[in-house]
Formats: sequence, structure tokens, C-alpha cells
Amino acid sequence: MSILRMTNINKSFYGVQVLENINFEVEEGEVHALLGENGAGKSTLMNILGGVYTRDSGTVEFEGHTLHNTTIKMAKEAGIAFVHQELNVVNNLKVYENLFLNKEIINMFHKLNKKEMIKRTQELFKDLGVDIEPNELVDNLNTGKKQLLEIAKALFADAKLFILDEPTTALNNDEIYHLFSIVKKLKDSGKSFVFISHKMPEIFVLADRYTVLRNGKYIKTGYIKNTTPEDVTRLMVGESYANREVYEARNLGEKVIELVNFSGEGFNNINLTVHKGEVVGLTGLQGAGSSDLLQGIFGLKASTGGILKVFGEEIHAQKIHIAMKNKIAMLASNRKENSVIPDMDLLENTYIAEHTLSSNKQHINYKKELKKYLDLKQRLNIKDNNQKELITNLSGGNQQKVILGRWLNTEAEILLLDNPTQGIDVGAKTEIYKLILELSKQGKTIIVNTLEIPEIQRVADRCVVFYHGKIQIILDRQDISEEKVMLYATNAIKNLEVQYD
Amino acid sequence: MTEKKLNKKYNIFTEIWNKYNYILIFVVIFIAFILINGSATTWKTLVNIPRHSTVIGIIALAMGLIILTGDIDLSVGSQLALIGGLTVMVFNNTNNIVISLLFAIFSGVLLGFFNGLLIGITKMPAFIVTLATMLIFRSVAQTVMNSNKWTIYQLDANLSYWKKLWSIGNASVPVINVPIMVIIFFIIAAVVTYITTCTKFGKKVYAVGSNEKAARLSGINVRWLRVLVYTLSGVLIGFAVFLYVANVGSVDPATSGKNYELYAIAGVVIGGVSMSGGKGRLLGIIFGSMSFTMIDKIITALGVNPLINDTIKGLILLLAIFIQMLPEIISKMKTNKHMVKE
Repeated sequence: MSILRMTNINKSFYGVQVLENINFEVEEGEVHALLGENGAGKSTLMNILGGVYTRDSGTVEFEGHTLHNTTIKMAKEAGIAFVHQELNVVNNLKVYENLFLNKEIINMFHKLNKKEMIKRTQELFKDLGVDIEPNELVDNLNTGKKQLLEIAKALFADAKLFILDEPTTALNNDEIYHLFSIVKKLKDSGKSFVFISHKMPEIFVLADRYTVLRNGKYIKTGYIKNTTPEDVTRLMVGESYANREVYEARNLGEKVIELVNFSGEGFNNINLTVHKGEVVGLTGLQGAGSSDLLQGIFGLKASTGGILKVFGEEIHAQKIHIAMKNKIAMLASNRKENSVIPDMDLLENTYIAEHTLSSNKQHINYKKELKKYLDLKQRLNIKDNNQKELITNLSGGNQQKVILGRWLNTEAEILLLDNPTQGIDVGAKTEIYKLILELSKQGKTIIVNTLEIPEIQRVADRCVVFYHGKIQIILDRQDISEEKVMLYATNAIKNLEVQYD
Repeated sequence: MTEKKLNKKYNIFTEIWNKYNYILIFVVIFIAFILINGSATTWKTLVNIPRHSTVIGIIALAMGLIILTGDIDLSVGSQLALIGGLTVMVFNNTNNIVISLLFAIFSGVLLGFFNGLLIGITKMPAFIVTLATMLIFRSVAQTVMNSNKWTIYQLDANLSYWKKLWSIGNASVPVINVPIMVIIFFIIAAVVTYITTCTKFGKKVYAVGSNEKAARLSGINVRWLRVLVYTLSGVLIGFAVFLYVANVGSVDPATSGKNYELYAIAGVVIGGVSMSGGKGRLLGIIFGSMSFTMIDKIITALGVNPLINDTIKGLILLLAIFIQMLPEIISKMKTNKHMVKE
């Protein structure tokens, strides 16, 4: 029986049709993946369901009742819970206070009945298998737990259908695993889920069915078990999927980076040599040290021991500026927080880093800068209206290309890319991979840190797996497989060996 | 299609509005000024607008530079009292204009560097640091005066170079009949505008104000940039104080420069520079500070009780901000009706 049936949904903003006759159906007790590139209309459709937007036409049936003029409140009362990407928990309140916000239990003197609230919170968490202390301040919880709290909140409000909008972006693998086990548990008790994600492996682990949207149009609904990640991606991207990047073996040049017992905050005794033109993928669980190592090389984190040699010369990169002078660039993770300068236009965003290297000449030669930008724009295929556009007007993928342009502008030879495809859609991801391969062919030395192993398989010559701040193993290209990497990344390999002993 | 075009037009309108609304505010107040003055309007009343805006205008430019990084300087008024008082002493003892000017600028640099060091390097909040130095600087000025048994810092008019100093602050350039102060004001404004729009340093200031973390990860030394910004602002304040001394001839630590930090901030805000940093153009501050001077003059011309002055200034400030935020308010109201941003 289907719990939700949306038929012929249409919606346009300012005369632009963003949804065109969309059909979407969710069965009771299933996890339904809603797939599509950024801008395909997923969020708009879900916002219509959640009462945030009003639809232009079409019908929404929930549990057999037709919903008219849905408001946010109505959707909530009907049992639809929207767990947003940005969490809506109040950081300054305790866990149980969040859970009972606006629904506080009070005694006859209108005094809060804390005991009862805490008791009920504990019961709920016990049922869910969540390990959160009800008296903890929400601010002290990590993102994963906040997400679970959000779901618990919805559950508490007797929700029947949960919309999870990219719930795993900020979680580490352990937390993802935990979240998924809870979703499965709830599913078995008859709750339904709409799951929005860009991560194929997750979709194939969790979802029962999928629906693909593209450019505001309904493309297909089907069973996950009858399809493959490649097929689904093709449906999402459409024709542009054809020009997929191709890995080619290259002749590597001299040693560019040599790390000997390199140590610092979060990484220990790293021994690694990277050659000119090589692409090395770093991976590991979140916090395993791969991101810290990049920051250590870039001078963002102080090294506490060992040797860092760049182009054969030992450097002490205790400052970003020293690293930059040695032709090192780092594309930081968390683009919005660490890279994008929101009040600056595209041109300014691309020249800002280079200017710290050439500050002895203070005057900005606009024509020269513009020429450089137009070059980069062509090279990186940045889609803009003009260079005076604010960077925040661009899509995530294009923003990332601008930031990459910022570093190419410094004429860096070594590119440290920390999670370069974070929060960008499938099409743009493909473009980024292509760029990585092209740049390596041009002789750039590239180290990519990512949690997504398929990404490494597509571009890397070697894969370095981290565990607890140390290199666990370095795999050659032909040996990189998801199972193998996970085995080392979770240190399961050690446990196996112990058992065999 | 047509709606899409309309939408685009709306965006262009918003963009122009956001960039140039300070000129509109200036023009409206200017027209009011002309209407109220009527036939009494002469060349002199017109050039007096920028002339009486010079000191506060240059201080506002210094403030604008600091606000662009997302910080603030509440001590500018007290800096005027302290630097002004000491500059008067230096002139009275040396009878030398150049030494007095250099001393004023050097003092500005020193005080700015001190603020900048505390804010940039030790990372104490700018609001608190400059609140503290606001109290300290003025009190030092008062103590020095008091220990000399003076009631005011007064230039010695018997000195041979006094008249020259006085003319810098009060005389006009012959032929074109424009006060020297106004010319200095416009030159300084042009230089500061150039620095913020056409130099790498200027763009770094914007970057730090817009996203400090991203600025740092782009290789900008954010700590020293802050120190540098406060120091550069000190140069401007020192210059402004020198002009103040040349113009007024005396400094009273109890009243001189009082509330100047607030007027400077108001000039910055009316000039369209965002308090959160990274947004706006310093060119607007010239118009912002002149708008404020005209309000003063309008009130005098109307002959109303001067105590009402700050009420009207406050109201104009509110109105200016409201006008500036109008496109944002309208579009927010629209989106609340139809949609919530994804």
C-alpha cells in the first residue's frame, strides 16, 4: 500500500518551470531514494510535500487523504517529517529540552516536570538504540548525534514519513552505519523514508526503490535490486554522461614530495614519496589523519617531527605562505566555510591567493587579471555570465572550479585536494575527475583526500589508507578495491590476523 | 519568459540600488538643504559642506577601513582628544608646522598600532579593546592637561608660524576659492578609495571581512593585516587631528571629538558599507559624512533648538538604513509568501 502518492505536480518560479508533471509514490515501510543532480527538482518537490512551497497544480495524497493547500504545520501534523540538511536543533538547550520543545510536560503549578521528560527521552533512545545522554547540552553533541536527535524529534511527533535530505554529508562512516541501522529498524516497524543523497554506495545499501528526476522532469522509478550505480548515474546525468574521463597510465617524473617520519597533530610517522605527475589518493575513516596530513604539508598544522622535502629540498612549512612559495596549493574541504569569499566576484576570488605571493607589486592590473581569469575559465569550463558575478551565484560544482582556479593561478605544482567533490552533483563531479587527470598529465602532482573510494579508483595511481593517524597500507592502482580499502581503513585486517593467530 | 526578464530587471535595479543608494540619500538631503536655505545659498555655504565634513570625513574613512575587515574602533574620538592635545603642545614648543604634522601622524600610527596589536595578534574582541582605549586615551589627555594646570589645550597665537597653521585650517585657495581643507579631504579620499579598490592590500581587506577563514587559507596573514589596517587608519586619524587643530586652534579633552566614533560609524553606514565587513565602497563614506554635515546645517538654518540635533540625526540614520535595506525587505516579504530559499 502506498503511503504517499504525488501525481502530476507542476511548479514554476518567476515563470520558469522547475517541476513538470512529476509523479512520485512511496510505499509504506520502504526507503525510497529520490535521485537527481542539483537543480533537478528534488528539493522543490520535497518542499512542496513539506508545505514549504505551494504547488501550481497536481494532487498529493497521504495515507489515502488528499492534502490541499498544505502548510508546514499541516504537513507535520499529517505525519510528514522533513529532516533538513541544516539541522534545526537548538544548540543551547539540553537534549531532552529539544525533544520536548513546545510540548513540555508541566505539573499542576505549571512547573516543568523534568524527571518525566528525561525518563521518556531515555525510553525513546533505548528503543531506537541511540546512545545520547538526555541531560547533555546539544552543543556538545557531534553532528551525527544531532541528526539522530532530529529524527528522534520527528518520531516523537508521531511522524510516518521521513524525508532525509542528504543526511550523511557531515557524518563519518561509523555514524553513517549507525544512522542506517536505525533507519532500517524504523523501516521494519512500518515507517517510510524518502532518502536524498548523492552518494551511490549509500543508496545501494539503504534504499529499496528509486525515482530519478532530471531538469524538473520525471525520468524513472524502479527497484534498486534491478539496477546498477552506472545505470542510475546515466539516468541522472543524461547524455553528458558519455564524455566520461578516462584514466591513462603516465610516465612519472622526479620525486616532488618526500615525507620521512613526518608527524604532527593528527598524523604520525608518515613515510611517503610522491612523483611529478602522480595522483595519490588518501583515504580513511573521518579523523583518521589523511586530512590532517594535507594540512600539515600546507603549513596549516604545525609538524612536530620528521622531514618534509619538496622538490628535493627540506622545508619547514610552519606557515601557509612558505608552503605557497614552494609551489604547494591546498583546496580545503568545506568549500563554503574555508574557500568561498562570498562578497567577492569571480575574478577577485580567483586572484586573491596569487596576490599574497606578488604583494611587492601592489597595483592591480585589471586587464592582466581578466586575461588570466578568462584563460582559467576556459581551461576549467567555468559556467558564468561574466567575471563580475558573485561567486555565491554559481552552483557548487562551478564554485569549486573557481577555487581550483584560484590555486592554478598561483602556478602551484603540487595540488592538495581535500574532499574536492564535497556537495557537488554527479555531473560536476565527473568534470572535477577529468580535470584532476588532465592536470596530472600536464605535470602537476596531486594528492586527493576523499572518503569515497570509487573516486580514488577513477583517478588515483596509488591509494594510501590511513588508520589512527598512521599509514596502514599503500595500494597500487590495480589493487584498489572498496572491500580491501575498507578492511584496512577500519583496521579489520588486524582483527582477522589476530583471529588466525 | 517575460517574467524571467522582469526578474532580471529587478535584479539589476537591486544591484544599482545597493551600489549607489548613498548618492540618492545625499541628493535628497542636499535638495532639502537648498530649499531651506533658499536665496541665502552662496558659493561659501556650498563649499562649507565638504569643509565642515573634512575632519569627521577622514575619521570616517579610517573607520570604514576597519569596518571593512569586520572590526570596529570606538576610540577614534578619544584619539582626537589625546593626539590633538599633544599636537598643540608640540606646536607651542617647537613653532614648527611640519614637526607638528609628523607628530600627529606618528601618534595616530602608535595608537592605531596599539589597538591593532591587541585585536590582531592577541585576538581580543575589537569592540572591547577600543572601548577600553576610548576611556584610556581621553583620560590621559585630561590628566596631562590638568597636571599642567590648563583648562584647555590652546595654540599659542603669538608664535610666528601660528598664522600659517591657522590658514591651513581656515583659508581658501585663491582663484578657485575652495578651502584648503576641502582639497586635502578630497585628495585623501581619492587615495583611500584607490587603496581599497585597486591594490592587492585593499582586496585582502575585503577578503578578511568577507570570510576570514577562507582569506587565511588563501595565504593572507590575517593577524598582521588587522594590525596594518589599524595602523593605516591611525595615519588617517593623525592627519584628521592635525587639520582639526589647524581649524579650531584648541582642544578641550572634555568635549573635543566626543561622539565622533558614533558619527563616523553613522557616516560609514550611510555610505553603504556593511557593518559585518567585506561589503561596500569607501567612496560612499564621503557622501555619508557630507550628508550628516548638511543635517547639522539644516537644523541651524531652521533655528530650532539645537538639542534636537541628535534626534534628527538618529532618525535620518534609521531612514537611511531602511532605504538601503528596502530591496532586501521587499524580496524577503515576497519569498515568505511564495517560497523559502532552498
